Amino acid sequence: MSIEATEAHQPVFVGAIRDRLETLQQSYPTRMALLLPALWMVQEERGWISDSSVHEVAAVLDLTPAYVRGVLTFYTMYHQHPVGRHFIQVCTTSPCNICGAEDVVAAVLAESGCGELGTTSPDGRFTVIEVECLGACGFATPMLIDDDFIESVTPDLVPALLARYP
Amino acid sequence: MTDELVSVTVDGAVVQVPRGITIIEAAKHAGVLVPHYCYHPSLSSPAVCRMCLVHVEKMPKLVPACVTPVADGQVISVHAPAARKAREGVLEFLLINHPLDCPICDQAGECELQDFVFQEGQARTRYSEYAKRYNPVEDFGPDVLYVPNRCILCTRCVRFMEEMAEAPVLAVAERGDRAYIAIDPHHQLDHPWSGNVVDLCPVGSLVSRDFLHRARAWELDKSASICPGCTQGCNITIETRDEAVVRLRPRPNLEVNRHFMCDTGRLDYRWMNHGDRAEAPLVRDGDRLVAADWDAVVARLHLLVHDTTGPVVVLASGRASSESLGWLMRMLEARSTIAAMKVPIGDEAPLAGVPGLALRPERAANLAGGLMVGVRDAWADAIARVGSAGLVILHDVDLNDAEAAAIAGAGTLVHFATATDDRLPRADLILPVTMMAEEQGVYVNRDYRAQRYLPARTAPGMARPAWWAASRVWQRAGSERTVPTTTSEAFAALPAFGGLTHRDLGYGGRILDPAVVSR
Repeated sequence: MSIEATEAHQPVFVGAIRDRLETLQQSYPTRMALLLPALWMVQEERGWISDSSVHEVAAVLDLTPAYVRGVLTFYTMYHQHPVGRHFIQVCTTSPCNICGAEDVVAAVLAESGCGELGTTSPDGRFTVIEVECLGACGFATPMLIDDDFIESVTPDLVPALLARYP
Repeated sequence: MTDELVSVTVDGAVVQVPRGITIIEAAKHAGVLVPHYCYHPSLSSPAVCRMCLVHVEKMPKLVPACVTPVADGQVISVHAPAARKAREGVLEFLLINHPLDCPICDQAGECELQDFVFQEGQARTRYSEYAKRYNPVEDFGPDVLYVPNRCILCTRCVRFMEEMAEAPVLAVAERGDRAYIAIDPHHQLDHPWSGNVVDLCPVGSLVSRDFLHRARAWELDKSASICPGCTQGCNITIETRDEAVVRLRPRPNLEVNRHFMCDTGRLDYRWMNHGDRAEAPLVRDGDRLVAADWDAVVARLHLLVHDTTGPVVVLASGRASSESLGWLMRMLEARSTIAAMKVPIGDEAPLAGVPGLALRPERAANLAGGLMVGVRDAWADAIARVGSAGLVILHDVDLNDAEAAAIAGAGTLVHFATATDDRLPRADLILPVTMMAEEQGVYVNRDYRAQRYLPARTAPGMARPAWWAASRVWQRAGSERTVPTTTSEAFAALPAFGGLTHRDLGYGGRILDPAVVSR
């Protein structure tokens, strides 16, 4: 299966990243089992997983692009579209909702400049989404900014919080 | 799988089945169909649809019949209350999102969802929220449309493209109630065998553009036949609606084509519906052709076979039956005859997952049958000899202009025709003959497997099989000669086929001894 030349694609799996992947291979029984970590590596590197990346992953792991796309679309934490530099996920499941998560979401949308859930701010800095339970119901409202887990967020804390992510 | 048999009880019936087969196959031996969606005998079984759950005595839970091998002494209950309840639940889930568009759905009448819901489902839903899906119809390829709203995600199409076609362009995308079958955006479903996904789809989710809205399933009459497209000899069903062929579908034969046929064969049926047919025997009278009865043309042809001199050239179609080819040659047994079949050559298109199955380059279903009775494939040579022939016999063959011009200038011309040819104005006799969809016959495929095909519709006008006319001509050359009255007798009377009758060929055909063939 060859990578199709549909757009200029800068390969992800070269040099150190390729080495990381091949090292990881030793922990897995098959090439196919590397698919989830490989997709993570692409997302860490590029912020999202483009169509050409799907083809690259398929070629590197000897899978078909259709299969890779099937896995990619199954999991919600892989981005199939470009997102902002910082990805904000606010918990709005029942307990947090009761404790005012809606207000937190509104504050984050206003402060980040996104205005709407799922969109990227005009300066390309933030993308905000709601998530289901982040498992910190005793510390409502929790949110994730990239890999940082922040508990007990209230609307008034939001401006200072976002300022830490330029 | 071994030859060893085990004894199992299916819904009270005790049957002996080979050790190692699955419960779903064992149930077929007992005449019980276990409802199923994802299972298909030619594909792997992922056991994802949960429809084939059956109860097995001493097993704590219901088991999926499609992946559970039988064991000796097993007592299987397909219709145990627990199994029925489980399947009822599966059907209820499937119907939550399924549109109620059966009245406009091509699959209605041959839909496994309809059938099993009718058999085992509930009459009404308990689901009060509205949960139908509204995804657009997607164009998968030249002949395949995908209607995602009807999809029950059995993944047969995905597995066919992966395992059989080995062109894995389909996959399940998304999950839960958003899941659908996605095609790789850089590809089309244009594999030469991809039309099979339409047959494999148990519901109306993958539909054929060619057949779309052409007929309702219950209006169709179905006849067992053999694909006339190439030397593979795939078993097919010809489906007609009011005497018009509207669809060809594969018919299972595990030795020849398993459950599949190629798109070239599948879509090449329009010639069967030609309206411009030869319907009455025509005899030359001066510069006119006048209608005659069969007795008159048989008598006239007998005289031509007897009285003309010089070599005879027979030009035959690759779709002619073995009976017709054999009797044409027998009719000419006293003459020096050059007989050739036109064998168009195309590209070979194998189905990778089934060894020995391919669309063959030789696009003539009965090439081997012709060889067995002395009809060669040296077509160009035969055309070259037309000019010096005393008698040219043409049997229903598609000619190009150069060939037609060569024949038009030849001597005496007898045309066994399904349609008259304006480029051949000087035929001395035109005998209206049936084509394969209107007659019984035998095709011999490339492995010398003789396979029967049955008539799918009535012949136009006075048309008869060519073997009938040829045998009557042959009879006139000797008073003691008896001739066949049925196609089976016509086949059995030809020594090349070893005296076998149609019944001897059986359901799946029979391999003939190719030693009798002299190329």
